[in-house]
Amino acid sequence: MINFEKHILANGLKVLAHYDPSTPMVTTNLLYNVGSRDEDPDATGFAHLFEHLMFEGSDNVPVFDTPVMLAGGENNAFTNSDITNYYITLPAGNLETALWLESDRLKGPDLSDEKLRTQKSVVTEEYRQRYLNQPYGDLFLLLRPLAYKVHPYQWPTIGKDITHIQNADRKSVTDFFRRHYMPSNVILSTAGNVKPEAVFRLAEKWFDDIAPGTPFMRNISREPVQDERREMTVHRMVPSAELLMAFHTGGRTSRDFYILDLLTDILSGCDSGRFPGTLVREKELFSEADIYLSAEIDPGLAIVSGRLKEGVDIRTAEKAVTDELNRVAGEKVTAAELDKARNRYESHQLMSFLSAGNKAFNLAYNELLGDANGINAEKDKYMSVTAEEIMECSARTFTESNCSVLHYLPETK
Amino acid sequence: MSKVDRTVPPEIITPSAGSFPVPAMHQLTGGVPVYLLGTGTLDLLRVEFVFNAGQRIEEVHLAASSANAMLTEGTVINDAMTINDLIDRTGAAFTHMADKDSACLIAVTLTRKLGEVMALAAEVLFQPSFPATEFRMLMEKRIQSFRTNRQKTSVIAREEFYRAIFGGDNPYGRVTVPEDYTSLTLEDARRFHSLHYRPSNMYITVAGKDPEKALPELEKYFSCSGEEWKKPVFPEIIFKTSSPGRLFLEVSNSVQSAVRVGWRGITRQHPDYQGLQVANVILGGYFGSRLMHNIREDKGFTYGINSMASALRDIGFIAVVTEVANEYREQTVEEIRREITELATVEVGIDELMTVRNHIMGEIARTFDGPFASAEAIRGLIDYGPDPDYYRRFEEKVKTITPGEIKDLVATYYNIDNAIEIIAGAK
Repeated sequence: MINFEKHILANGLKVLAHYDPSTPMVTTNLLYNVGSRDEDPDATGFAHLFEHLMFEGSDNVPVFDTPVMLAGGENNAFTNSDITNYYITLPAGNLETALWLESDRLKGPDLSDEKLRTQKSVVTEEYRQRYLNQPYGDLFLLLRPLAYKVHPYQWPTIGKDITHIQNADRKSVTDFFRRHYMPSNVILSTAGNVKPEAVFRLAEKWFDDIAPGTPFMRNISREPVQDERREMTVHRMVPSAELLMAFHTGGRTSRDFYILDLLTDILSGCDSGRFPGTLVREKELFSEADIYLSAEIDPGLAIVSGRLKEGVDIRTAEKAVTDELNRVAGEKVTAAELDKARNRYESHQLMSFLSAGNKAFNLAYNELLGDANGINAEKDKYMSVTAEEIMECSARTFTESNCSVLHYLPETK
Repeated sequence: MSKVDRTVPPEIITPSAGSFPVPAMHQLTGGVPVYLLGTGTLDLLRVEFVFNAGQRIEEVHLAASSANAMLTEGTVINDAMTINDLIDRTGAAFTHMADKDSACLIAVTLTRKLGEVMALAAEVLFQPSFPATEFRMLMEKRIQSFRTNRQKTSVIAREEFYRAIFGGDNPYGRVTVPEDYTSLTLEDARRFHSLHYRPSNMYITVAGKDPEKALPELEKYFSCSGEEWKKPVFPEIIFKTSSPGRLFLEVSNSVQSAVRVGWRGITRQHPDYQGLQVANVILGGYFGSRLMHNIREDKGFTYGINSMASALRDIGFIAVVTEVANEYREQTVEEIRREITELATVEVGIDELMTVRNHIMGEIARTFDGPFASAEAIRGLIDYGPDPDYYRRFEEKVKTITPGEIKDLVATYYNIDNAIEIIAGAK
């Protein structure tokens, strides 16, 4: 059970505080309700580029990192389709330094041409390092636009085309800042050795003078129901083939999410799952085969990814995956399987509570989903999933017309 | 709205390294050492079994890693699927790996499942059956991931760097070739296991709330009977470091080059080791380092660049590591040389030194924050010592090191005229 208190500032900033005296540290987590789904289709990758710019100093902070280091802290951030998330972990006595830094870059980050030019170049190198210069690095650059035709989940966080980043100018970046970076669009959470009263007092002190801004109204078109199978084949310089299959599912707060999350654990969450048992060991078609949820807030995907063994025909491999999915759609998983998945959920959730950073993030993320107490309440949602629900949901989800398939094959010389 | 003066930063409390928990030592019947570290508030325990069964004692290449990987591929009691099913039902997380100096199994479990989990850990550690089918499949999988890795410029550069620093004829520096996977036999792996995975050749760490709760279970499964526990013996390795200079490895079609500039370094016992850590942080050990500032934040050549001064059991190495666009490669190497020369000739300013000092203090405090982090730190102290006083001395060194010392350390250990440069990328 994670206890916390909540306080909302006049300008709309939400603050959540969890007190944990067993650590000498505290983590501050600022979750900005903006991700790549909020981007213009002709200017993708901006949320992530902006994350880089937030480390380039602000009105009263020439170098962001220096005060963090002086305070004995460490910090980082990440961006995904839904959110941009910043965190600092530092000795509890230096909490105020973190709040000073975070409030200053929310109020006035350095968006000068010089900083922008450098970070455009850094992001271009990030794109090369992570997507182009890695075997299998472009898998999701290919899968996303195959699975989504309307929804902005069709492009990856880095952007659909790196020229969008290279063409970013100061005006477009400043507009992005005005649209999304305001107190009412942020959830600040803390976890660690500081009591909630102290957190709230310091949050008031540093964030209260920031103008609320005009709330951004998200208006994203729903992805239409897919009505036929999509398939794409590419050849790349890789040693073995990879199979990806994506099925549209419900959003992060839907009942389907919890049902399928448990199911994916039964199928491939552990070495004794069905995929390792059948597809890897028994049939020897794959060296690895996984299924997992994209876990995005809007309706997302259940994604099968498998690395084929040498010499296996990709259609044979795909058929075997389909057979496994049909099996869960046609008969109930066993009580032992469901029990195992529940036990694993329980212990993994507890392990995740070892980290103050995880707790702070999960509080903020659950608040974004509607209620920070979700961090405690989610367990019941998982525990109440039944074998009948899994079968019914699988039958609706794993259909041919709901499937996008990528055959990623080695270049034939 | 109240008005706050943002130009005045909050006062910073100088971070302290905190307290260093000392593990309680206990011996099981027969002598197996158990290190108990009570930390944390959740009902979880992390139990790690460490064997002197790393690559350095293998006679056949890949025997150590393969023996370790086969632990959960079936036992004399349960086949592969069944043993994994039994483990997964407990909710515990098992991870196991072999590295250059040792091999381990780590089990993280709810305290109330400890009995079951320890029984399963003992079963996979001491009674694996080495089934032929699972062994063949494991080798096929490993060769496949080997082929994928050999397409990564960063992996190619790293392996060649190890060969250059350690020499290619010993287990530290040997570069794996595809034939190694086909020539290794099931018997090689089995033999390695039966020689080295024994209670007489291990120690155990337990971290979490009330770690002593694990002792009765450990006594049941890991006490030695019939043979006495022995202090580990590590065969000597003769290292042959290559002559300085550049080695270019062509990887056609790559859009970036992996760059490694480095030297042979020193081990943790060397009196300069702790000072060297401080110098290295300034050069390339944190986000605000000289190298990051210049090559990423100023020039935008790379997503990241860092330097490390690391140590294995008997040898250390120093390396500056980055991936850059092919067209920035030479300029990047030039800038690395320039930053090193600067640090080796001009004393670091007191503000920068203060920043780095505080940063390292925070790092040390995080090293002992919670059972997972603490358990790893303690393993380092056992493996490379025994040196229970390491962090106390490190804290002292960080507080007292002078700009002059740092300059001298860089000049001594980062000698740009003697560097080994490895570059993997397109021509």
